[in-house]
Amino acid sequence: MSFVEPSVERRSVRLFKQKTDGQSDTPTWLTLLNSLFYVAVLLAVVAFGYYLYTFQRDQGKLTLYLPVLLDGARVTLIVSILSMVLATIFGFIGAVGRLSRFAPIRWLATVYVEVVRGTPIIVQLLLWYYGVGYVLSTIGFDPYSIVFQIMTALQSNSLVPDQFNAYFYGIIGLSFNYGAYLTEVFRSGIESVSKGQIEAALSLGLNSRQTMRHIVLPQAFRITIPPFTNYFITLIQDSALLSVLAVIELDHQTFALALPQTDANVKMFVFVLGALLYLAMCYPLSLLARFLEARLARAY
Amino acid sequence: MDLIQQALPDFLVGVRNTIIYCVSAFPLALLLGLILALMSSSRIIWLRGPARIYIEIIRGTPFIVQLFILYYAVGAILLTVNLETLDNAWTAGIAILAINYSAYEAEVFRAGFLSVDRGQTEAALSLGLTSFQNFFRIILPQAIPLMIPPFVNDFIYMLKDSAIVSVIAGTELTSVLNTWVTHHGSNPIPLYALAIVLYLLLSLPTSYAARYFERRVRAAL
Repeated sequence: MSFVEPSVERRSVRLFKQKTDGQSDTPTWLTLLNSLFYVAVLLAVVAFGYYLYTFQRDQGKLTLYLPVLLDGARVTLIVSILSMVLATIFGFIGAVGRLSRFAPIRWLATVYVEVVRGTPIIVQLLLWYYGVGYVLSTIGFDPYSIVFQIMTALQSNSLVPDQFNAYFYGIIGLSFNYGAYLTEVFRSGIESVSKGQIEAALSLGLNSRQTMRHIVLPQAFRITIPPFTNYFITLIQDSALLSVLAVIELDHQTFALALPQTDANVKMFVFVLGALLYLAMCYPLSLLARFLEARLARAY
Repeated sequence: MDLIQQALPDFLVGVRNTIIYCVSAFPLALLLGLILALMSSSRIIWLRGPARIYIEIIRGTPFIVQLFILYYAVGAILLTVNLETLDNAWTAGIAILAINYSAYEAEVFRAGFLSVDRGQTEAALSLGLTSFQNFFRIILPQAIPLMIPPFVNDFIYMLKDSAIVSVIAGTELTSVLNTWVTHHGSNPIPLYALAIVLYLLLSLPTSYAARYFERRVRAAL
């Protein structure tokens, strides 16, 4: 090995060592430096906490604003969950349509997916609320008054928010949009089940409905869970766009509280608080999605 | 039809501005993303940690919230330090598109680097290449073809997400749409249809090109 430069030799030995005894080759100074980082992160978290605390100490802003923002976060969660349920239904219908043997239905589903995925969600939301909602209101369809009457009959019409139409078309717009993405998720999940299994099931005497119910769907379901979770996270984030339609959710509340502030620091504080609440909703879910993906990578 | 004819020139200006937003923001996002990807695959946690935190925070908060923070909160702070020339919808829009997408591009870069077999690195290093040479001559050339389809996809997402800049009254297509809808509110559906058709004209050809390219990459592998 005399023709190999020493440094190269060292490096290849290092790689070899790593392979055999699993020992890391991290030098001591790097280990020390790295462990110092956690101290720095801890200090940063404490400093951030102190930053939030100063607003509480000087002006009592935290106890003033946090309940309002939490109320917005509640609306965001409710809207997101409702939209996700509806989007699952849209997505399931879309997937059945895309896998249909009848060509026009397949085309219709394809057009739905392509048009929805090719246009910005905010334009779709505006179209649902100001476009479709407007046209439907001119022919006499007003979700607010319908729901208000129903809830009056149930003696609880105070539960209906004033901006019910914005909630209604916002949820429909969100779920219509996410339905297109979920269509593709469900379709690829169903198609990922190998053809041999379906043939085996059919030759064992199961009919096509039983094959779908007992063979295909359970396996497809397992595959679609991680992307489904990921889409739920992006849906929570995109529900912030409903603030454009005057739905009183977290982003709307944050904005309404922050904009009148004259002090730039307080303005920043309110926005950071709002963003922190979104992070508190999305980050656990993203950890869950990663955990599910890791589980899925393992075999049964 | 008359309305569409009147609106079309304005809408085309909006399309042009949408393209300007994206074409200027995307290279910035790529550059930032590459730096973040290199940082997050470093052995030194002082580089890896901040990059991971940045990526998690950006991916965990909505785009519109980031836009508000940048335009209103950072904008207000910019005013106090006499940098008001930077406080406008163009800089805020382009900056936030680049900042937001850099986190996603970093993940694409990282996945691309990881997809190159580790044996190649080992071979290169034992052949005497430095780790810089290994990265630029061995890993990057092999990873780039794999990364192009997700980049094109992200570019399409950016074309669509640039519509959100309309909430701070940018000058792109959705902002033009909003002004036209408020001025001609009697029958807004044709205006929405026009905007949707224009967005589809932007995104569908790109997405078909991306799919074609992806098939070719798959076939070559």
